[in-house]
Amino acid sequence: MGNIKETFLNPIFKGNPISVLVLGICSSLAVTVQLKGAFVMGLSVMIVTGLSSLVCSLLRNTIPNRIRIIVQLVVVALMVILVDQVLKAYAYSVSKTLSVYIGLIITNCIVMGRIEAFALGNKPFASLMDGLGNGIGYALILIVVAFFRELLGSGTIFGFQVIPDAVYEFGYANNGLMILPPMALILLGCIIWIQRSIQKDLQEK
Amino acid sequence: MNTNSNTYTVIYSIILVVVVAAVLAFAAMFLKPTQDANVKKDTIGQILTAATFAGVEDAAILDTYKAEIESAILVNLEGEKVGDLNIEDCEVYGTSDLKKQIAAEQKSLPVYIFKNGYTVVPCYGAGLWGPIWGYVGLEKDLKTIKAVCFGHKGETPGLGAKIADEPSFAESFAGKTIGEGEILFEVCKPANTQVDAINHIDAISGATITSQALGFTLNQWFGFYKNYLAKNAAQEVVEDVVLDVEPANTVEE
Repeated sequence: MGNIKETFLNPIFKGNPISVLVLGICSSLAVTVQLKGAFVMGLSVMIVTGLSSLVCSLLRNTIPNRIRIIVQLVVVALMVILVDQVLKAYAYSVSKTLSVYIGLIITNCIVMGRIEAFALGNKPFASLMDGLGNGIGYALILIVVAFFRELLGSGTIFGFQVIPDAVYEFGYANNGLMILPPMALILLGCIIWIQRSIQKDLQEK
Repeated sequence: MNTNSNTYTVIYSIILVVVVAAVLAFAAMFLKPTQDANVKKDTIGQILTAATFAGVEDAAILDTYKAEIESAILVNLEGEKVGDLNIEDCEVYGTSDLKKQIAAEQKSLPVYIFKNGYTVVPCYGAGLWGPIWGYVGLEKDLKTIKAVCFGHKGETPGLGAKIADEPSFAESFAGKTIGEGEILFEVCKPANTQVDAINHIDAISGATITSQALGFTLNQWFGFYKNYLAKNAAQEVVEDVVLDVEPANTVEE
């Protein structure tokens, strides 16, 4: 059981898919302008990684080796389309904001990477936990980046204004650069920097 | 069992694809009504924006529409009324309905007339990656643009998508008028314009094709509505004539 706990917790911080493995960078730049979008995107990726890992792990002994990547792709595509359809039905405005990026979860290296590296060689429950853990790790970074981008770029948190009008009257202005993708990359760099100073074993000699 | 044999691989892939297709088909059928309702609500939201009711809460969209709409009619190319849209059911023409009208010989073009005096007409056309559409709110003279709301399926984020995302682009339409003659409306660089600036909007930098497509679409649809808009300037007179004719017919019968 300790092993499963480790499987679940490791990708959240120590082996974070974005800040340590540097996977899924594109989408973390694109959807972190606002917290709401980042939150839903993180949740969607979590569901997709968790369920695809689970399904692939259940099928792992039956999958013909020569077409295993195709099988993984079909399973991932199935989950992504389902998530996309559900969002369109029950969270239309968010789905409109995220537009193509939900569909592009399929190209997120984290999903296929975890299936290929973990789910095909481990039991279903462990794979589910690994998938969920990686999804949460991804969501966590997205939310941290989006928090700073929304706070400094728009002065809001989850769409609510948190910087009082009085501050603006003193001449404070929102940082327009925060809205643009380069700032997400810089923030991400800062997060990796902080994490590497805490986890010395990540530093290359 | 040998999971690497050709037969096994082929059968496995067939079964997998069929199962996945079945799951997706079921999900699509199950979720379709909810999704359609969302799309319709979104369309009405856009129409409301063009009629100066921008930023209505999601939940209040349908009620606001019912409360503010005066009449929703269908007109043909000659500008004659050919039908009504049911206001109680919030019946509107979605993008697929608009698409059909472009090629149709007998067009039925929706016109939404609001109680505050603004008239909203739609447009629909091909953008760079997919369809673009929009709603134009006109003042009582049916020439001056009050507000617009554009939408798109998948224009490039940050470039073509600005037709929908960039408030300043939509705001630049306010006060412009539909021109006369060949070019009714234009979206291009100021240097390229051959016509009076009053029916011209600055294109979006870096989104040449989307801008041109939008200009073409607006021009085409304003062309469709040309007769209706022209007639409506003398609408009251026309209505009087209709009223005069009807009693006469009754007498004859």
